[in-house]
Order: sequence, then structure tokens, then C-alpha cells
Amino acid sequence: MTKKILSQKFYDEMDQLVPRYPTRVALLLPALHVAQAETGWLPPEVMEEVASYIGIHPAQVKEVASFYTMYNLKPVGKYHLKICTNVACCLRGAEALVEHCERKLGIVCGETTRDKKFTVMEEECLGACGTAPAMMLNDDYHENLDVQKLDGLLNGLE
Amino acid sequence: MPKCLIDGREVEFAPGTNLIEVARKAGIEIPYFCYHPGLTIVAQCRMCAVEIEKMPKLQTACSTVATEGMVVKTRSDRAVQNQKSIMEFLLINHPLDCPICDKSGECDLQDFSFKYGDAYSRYTEERRTYLDLDMGPVIKKNMNRCIHCTRCIRFGTEVANIHEMVAVERGNNTEITTVDGRPLETDYAGNYADVCPTGSLTLKDFRFRKRVWYLKKTPTVCEGCSRGCNMEIHQEANTIYRCLPRENMEINKYWLCDEGRFNFHYVNDPERVLDPKAGGNVTNWEDAIQAAKTALEGRKLTVLVGSDLTQEEATLIQELLPKVFPGAGLFHFGTPAITSASEDAPADKILKRKSKTANLHGLEKLKIHGLKTPIATEAVLVIRGGRAVLPDMKSIKTVVGIGVFTNTQSGNFAAVLPGLTFAEKNGTIVNFEGREQKLKRAILPLGQSKPLSETLMMWMNRKKAEHTSAMETTGAEAR
Amino acid sequence: MAASESMYIEHFSEESRPLDYYLKKMNGYTASKKAFGMSQDDIIGEMKKSNLRGRGGAGFPTGTKWGFIPKQSTKPKYLVCNADESEPGTFKDRDLMRYTPHLLIEGMVIGGFAIGAHAGYIYIRGEYTREAILLNQAIKEAYAKGYLGNNIQGSGFNFDLTVHRGAGAYICGEETGLLNSLEGKRGEPRVKPPFPAQAGAFGGPTIVNNVETLTAVPYIINRGGEWFAKLGKLEKSGGTRLFCVSGHVKKPGLVELPAGSVTLRQLIYDHCGGILNDRKLKAVIPGGSSAPVLTPDEIDVIVDIEPMMKIGTMLGSAGIMVVSEDYCVVRLIQRITKFYAHESCGQCTPCREGCKWMEDILERIEDGHGREQDLALLLDISDNINGKTLCALGDAAAGPVISFVKKFRTEFESHIRGGKCPNA
Repeated sequence: MTKKILSQKFYDEMDQLVPRYPTRVALLLPALHVAQAETGWLPPEVMEEVASYIGIHPAQVKEVASFYTMYNLKPVGKYHLKICTNVACCLRGAEALVEHCERKLGIVCGETTRDKKFTVMEEECLGACGTAPAMMLNDDYHENLDVQKLDGLLNGLE
Repeated sequence: MPKCLIDGREVEFAPGTNLIEVARKAGIEIPYFCYHPGLTIVAQCRMCAVEIEKMPKLQTACSTVATEGMVVKTRSDRAVQNQKSIMEFLLINHPLDCPICDKSGECDLQDFSFKYGDAYSRYTEERRTYLDLDMGPVIKKNMNRCIHCTRCIRFGTEVANIHEMVAVERGNNTEITTVDGRPLETDYAGNYADVCPTGSLTLKDFRFRKRVWYLKKTPTVCEGCSRGCNMEIHQEANTIYRCLPRENMEINKYWLCDEGRFNFHYVNDPERVLDPKAGGNVTNWEDAIQAAKTALEGRKLTVLVGSDLTQEEATLIQELLPKVFPGAGLFHFGTPAITSASEDAPADKILKRKSKTANLHGLEKLKIHGLKTPIATEAVLVIRGGRAVLPDMKSIKTVVGIGVFTNTQSGNFAAVLPGLTFAEKNGTIVNFEGREQKLKRAILPLGQSKPLSETLMMWMNRKKAEHTSAMETTGAEAR
Repeated sequence: MAASESMYIEHFSEESRPLDYYLKKMNGYTASKKAFGMSQDDIIGEMKKSNLRGRGGAGFPTGTKWGFIPKQSTKPKYLVCNADESEPGTFKDRDLMRYTPHLLIEGMVIGGFAIGAHAGYIYIRGEYTREAILLNQAIKEAYAKGYLGNNIQGSGFNFDLTVHRGAGAYICGEETGLLNSLEGKRGEPRVKPPFPAQAGAFGGPTIVNNVETLTAVPYIINRGGEWFAKLGKLEKSGGTRLFCVSGHVKKPGLVELPAGSVTLRQLIYDHCGGILNDRKLKAVIPGGSSAPVLTPDEIDVIVDIEPMMKIGTMLGSAGIMVVSEDYCVVRLIQRITKFYAHESCGQCTPCREGCKWMEDILERIEDGHGREQDLALLLDISDNINGKTLCALGDAAAGPVISFVKKFRTEFESHIRGGKCPNA
């Protein structure tokens, strides 16, 4: 019997959702969100635990988790920056933001800083085109950015 | 029955049939990769797209059900252009492995590329490659060859009832794999290689052993259990290289379990006794038979008949037994704990049965009963093929064996008279439904092994010509 | 547009979100009460009269769609809201959900009643984390006051609403990809038939509607389908709609106008302040990135479904992205193609292999390593993808490539012949 990694809070929150869906498998996407909120990313052991909770094969969890970009199958830094580089944001200077991050943090897009503080990624359209350029910092949107604002934001992060 | 027009040919069809099958009946081939009649339809490969009158876009034939009066063109300019483009798309990342790939010669990608593709590619970018994870002892995986038809995934979830083969990532990076290099769990893993249209999933057992165009195929029946799945034996120069399922919609559809698929190895096993033996030493047939007779003379005898033998063999034993061994008890054996046909039952929800021999139900039909109590006599004559599990005979003083044995199994036998495996003889077996099916000889008897009828005739000092079973044939037929 | 004609924009602020505001200032939950007194056929009749076209991108008449649901069904029926909003250039549903969530909730209650569904799901893209929280808060408010749940407003009608978060996949905006994702699977589109109205979520008859589409429903029921139809200026298009204008304009953002009432030129120059830094217009991507590009001499088209189709592009999600001379179009279409290759689910051959191939070729051209034959090759690959795929993502990738290569051919050629991007 493998040791449980996820807290009771996970199980309580998931049990609340059970009556809202006609199948158990439909709980999978919500379960992965709740699990990841706890553990930051989804290591194989957590995916196995989710599989066990729902009652499906671990491969079924892996195939779903690896399909969606928001599920982290590798560890991410404390601050996960996802800078949109799709059409509208590129038109309003997103590429300069990416360049600035890479230079300032000394990493390339997709990487995490050695102190595990920052992960920077390019992202597809976030639905904030009217306030471009935009990015996600963990769960929050930051819009109407420019290099100065971004710099200030990064400096302010503990 | 409704009719439609395919390439100008009028075809009758049963309502609900898809266009690939309707065309097939009219002798028209529509190429496809992801479609499989035994699996759900996904219409992913897009290779089977055809032109249908009144529909502006090309339609995939697999997912289109024929309707009355439908007019279909499978070789219109647009359909041909699509076939060429799909082949080009599939080959841009496919390695030119044909010279080293087992699938060569029976590869859908090869065949359809030759028939429907162009002879060149315009791709000059870098090719996508994957690292291969091991999948266990049955299947060899080469992900670079995969064309993402997803037949293997669907086989796993729909037939083998296990969600172990999955697609991870998405888009061009999609990889078909088990999780984290885990071996395949299913007992039906061999079918993954059957459904794969390329050399991406191949059998480790068959890897690099024989080019498929050398193999001669014999339709027969599996002896692995009492279901009697239909099977093909593939051999060359009297060596069996592999067994594949043969389609039978009423018994096994398109599938074969691994136990049945790999059962044949014992036929060519170097440990198999192929020469007559007396007292543990190889000798000639006359001496071996004499030694057998001597060993059993005057003793109380039990005759054990393997339920892996055919109806013809069992009938012969039944007829001759009172003449040769009056008073001897006759029992069948085969699967420990299954002593009668009524105890046979499904072993899983797919194909396998609890009886590990093919003809249990046939022998009981002949009113031969199973061995239920420990053997009480001091002598045993055991007659079997290669499947029936030998009961414990350590306490029996004298054992004579006719049929298929290894050296180890027959180490303390007074005499061994080598006989034929299922692959070396014709015969009738009866499955759990009472269905009669025919074993067909695929290879000539190995070594000095003889058909049971011949052995029994020699035992009774009769000439072969007087009593030859209709089902026994000479070697000429196997050639 | 008069304030009385505005269904949305005038309510787009933090103050409008609470239930109180909805009840007091927006006739909140009166439409559903009225609907409970109508027959299902009457409601669908009003929807048909309204000429409401799906606001997600396909523009299918909503009333007709609702009519596809069978009256009897052995399996439960579902109403699903497509809040996946991932089409580049589109950002209207986000504001609808965070500022006027009760419009959506009430629209779904009425829709559920009309088709006989007792359960609804709002499939919201995973990145809208805050919006999902706000939606859930609004849903909680509605449940507490009996506007959701059992015996809604004493009608005897039960309807449960659940917010289901996506997790980052554009293809989940495709209705059958969305349904698979809702069911806990990979968001891969399904073969059609069967259509969702026959077998959708969990095998039951299902209607999938866009957020903006559903928020129009309370208005249509309260003021009548005819009123809604008359708001629109073209025969087949009713109501007002939200246009998302972004890119090189001085005032990017949402503009609400009656459907069919404005040309692209008017939208860009009159409503959005004209081109940023007064530069020259180079291109307009008019309907999300899936819409073929338009050149400056094509912007006198009326921004609505049929007029756009006539000139070879589409209104789609009304995500209008304006490009001035300050950005390289080759780089732009390379980035767009990269998006489709990244978002392709990978099921069908032309999209999985073809989109990546096009991305690679365009990257080479932009980096200065293009060859003479690349343009013909790009057009041929697009042609082999267009109309040949399992879902519309393939078309969405191919259409723009064809349009950019054809309309900006000289720019591509100067990249190829010059051996570099002339704009870099």
C-alpha cells in the first residue's frame, strides 16, 4: 500500500464534486487541478494516487495530463511566468518581454532558474488581446505590460 | 437489399455497412490504416477518403455508411490526390527501415505507398525522432516507425480491456507508449503486433528470424484451450516461426491470446524426444515397442489419454484398447483441477478457457471420462500430444509413453514411442461449444516421430496398409 | 449605438457582478420566470425569430441548433457552455463571465428548460482561473436565492450548473473535443456523425453554445425574438455583438455594435482610434487567427458573417487583429502556423504532419533560409490539409497560410531572395 502524498483536503474537495458528474472519469481534469495546486507539479506518484482515487489505470492519467499545457509534468519554479507571444501580443511587443526575461534571469524559455525561483515560458493566446502584451504569473494575469513594468514586477517578487 | 454505385459498379449491401466493406465486396480496394473491422471507427488517418456525389468534401469511407443510390468514386482525381498526399505526410517522418524491418513484405505502409503514393518526397526538414521505451517481453517498440493510427490503443481498451497503451503529448509530438516504460500487462499482447500496420510494434519472439515472404501458411486451430481459436502456422523448411490468429467471427474474431500464440515452441524444442527410447536409451522402433510390451505384460494397467489428442486418435485407442489391454481403465487428463467438461469455464472475459487442452469436450463426447482419483495401478500407459499436463506418476512403477514428451518428462519411462504434435497431424477436435474443427498438418513429422495409428499397428504386429485411418496422410500432402 | 441598445458594454465593470445589481439593474431572472410559463417549442420559436447566430465562430443559427435536440431521450440531456475562448484575438467571453456572470447563468437555465436538460456545464479555459472563481461565486449566489437548483423560482424545473475548468488546449474549443475533455479524456475531436445533439456529453443529447450566445438568451425572451432580430442590420443576423479589436490600433478593446452595422474600416478608424502611431495599415486578420487575412483595400466589407464569407474570409469569433507596416507579415504567419502546430491534437494525418511541416518551412523563410520552391510547396501542403481533416483546426491552419502567401507574395519572395527578413 503506497503512502499517500495528497492531503485529506484533496479527497474532501474531490468528494464534493462526485455528485456533479455522471461518471468518475469526468473527475480527472478537476482532480489534476486540485492535486497540482497542492504539489506544484504532477510527479508520477501523484498521478498514480489520482488514478487510484478515480479508479482508473495510471496510463489513463498520464495520457490526459500530458495532453494539456497547464499540467506540469516537470517541476516549476515558485513563480511561473507564461508570456503570451501570439499575434496581438507580438504586435504589441511581447517578444521584447521574452528577451528581457531571458536576459535578466539568465535562462532560455522553458527553463527554470537554478534557485528554482522563476520558470519562464512562451504561451499561446491568453484572451487578453485588448490589453496586450499580457502574461500569466502563476494564477494571475498581468496586462498592458512593457519592459519597465515587467522588470518592476520581477524585482518585487520574493 | 439496397444498392449503391462504386466506381461505376453496382453493389448490393446490408444496411449499416460502411463504404470500405461495401467496396471490398465489389472487389474494390480502398486503402486505410486506422480502420479495423474489429475496433471502433476513428477516421483519423484520412487515407480512405473518397468522393461522393452531392457531398462537396471528400468523405472517409470507414465512417460513411452506404445509402441507397449513393454514387462513390474511389479513384477520382481528388481522391487520388488525397491518397498521394496522405502517403507523403505519413512518410515524412517514417524512417527508411524496410531493409531491417520485420514488417517488410506484409506492411500496409509499404503496400499502400507502392500502390497509392508517389515515388518521391519533398520533405527536407529535420525528422522527428523518439527514444524507445521497452514494453516487456512480447512486443518490441520502434516509435519512429509509428504512423499514429491508434489501432493499438483501441485494441487495448476495447478488446483486451486494459487502458495500458496510451498516447501522450499531442500534435506532432504524440507518442504511443505504456506509462514510464512499464511492460505490457495484458495476456493478449501479441495482437498489438498484428494490428500495427507498420513495423512499429513487432513480436520480440519473431524478431529478425525470417523474412515473411519465405513463410508457408497453414490454416489450423489453436490447441491452447477448449475455445479452439482459429490460427495459422507459418513455417519454412519444417521449422515453425510463428502462429497468427485466423479470422473467425464466431469463435475468436481477429484475436489470439499469447499462450496460444507462443505455444508452438515445444514442437521444435531440442528437448523433445524424437527417437524411440527403451529404458532411457535411444533405440529402434522394433526394440522400443518390444520393451514397452515387455514392461506392461501381466500388469494391472491404467491407460491415460491426453485431452490434447484428436477425435481420430482417441477413437482408435477406444477401439483397440479391449483387444490389446483388456481390463485396463481408460481416463483422460489434461488440465489439473478440470476433470470433466462440466468443470470447464471461461478463464477471462475475452477468449481463454480454464481447460488448457483443446479436445476435452471431444473426448467426453466419446464417453471417455476424466481421471478423478489417484492412479491405483502399478503400470500406466500415457498417450498425449504436447499440451496435456502429466499427472503425478512418481509412485508408479512402470510408465510407457506414446506421443510428445521431453527428455525430462520421460526420464524414468520404460519406453517412449515418439508421436505427433498438433502441427504435424490432421485431425478433428471439438471445442467447448461442441463445434468440430480441423487441425491441419503444417510440417512433416520431426525426427522419427510417427502417427499414433502407425505406432498402434506396429504394436499389434499389423501391417500399416490394413488399418490406415482416413485422417492420417502421408508426407506428400504437407509439401 | 444607443445605451438602450447595449446589452453588455454598459455593464462591464466590477460593480455589475453581484446578484443584486443583476436583479435591480438588468431585470435579473425575470426572463427565466417568463420562460417557465412558455412551452419548449415557443421558446425555440423565439430563438429562431431572433436570428441569433452562434457567437463562438461557426455562426450557426442558435434556434435551429436547439431544435435538433430530440424531445424524448433514454439518456439525460445536457447544455454545455463553451467558455474555452482560445481563438487568438478573442477576449469577449472573459469580460462577460467576470462582469455579467448572471446573464450567462440565466441564459443557461432558459436553454436547459427549452431543450429539457437538467444539468449544465460551463467549460471554461483553464487559464481563466480568476474568472472561474468569480463564476462559481455567482453560481453560489444563484443557488442561494433559488435561481438555480431544484424547483427554480417555483417552476418545478430542476437545473444544476457546474463550472468545469479546461487545462490549456485550444482544440477544446471544438465542440466534440470539448465534450471529450469534459468527460475526463484527451480533448480530441470526435468523428461526426453522431452529432452532439444525438450523442454528446456522456452519450446524451447535448447542445454546446458559446458564452456570448447564451448571454443573449435572457434578452431575447424578455424583449422578444423580433426585437433582437431588428437590432441587427442585416437580414440573417440579429442583436448586437462584441467585436474584439487588438493589435496596432490606438484604442484596442471591446466594441459592442449592432450586428452588420459597421465596416472594418469604420471599426478600426472610427471606433478604435485608427492605426497606432498613425502608421500605415498593412493587414487585418478579421476573425481570430483562423480567418484568412485581408489587405488594406479589402476593409470596406461589412463586419458580419455573410459579407465576410463572400470575400473569402470569415467573421469567426470577431477577433480583429490590426497589423501596421511595423510588423513583418512573414513572421506573423510563421507565428500563427506555430500556434496551430502546437495546438493540433495529433489525431489526423494532414494536420499532425502538415501543420508542423508548414511551421518548419515558414521558420526557414523568416530566418533567411527559404528556397524558391517553398512557396509552391506551402500552397500545395495547405491545399492537402484544407477540407481533408477530421476537424476544422486543419482548415484554420491552412486558410491563413494560403491567404498570406497569395496576398503578400512579394514579402515572402524578398525573404527568400534576400536571404533574410527585410524587416528585422
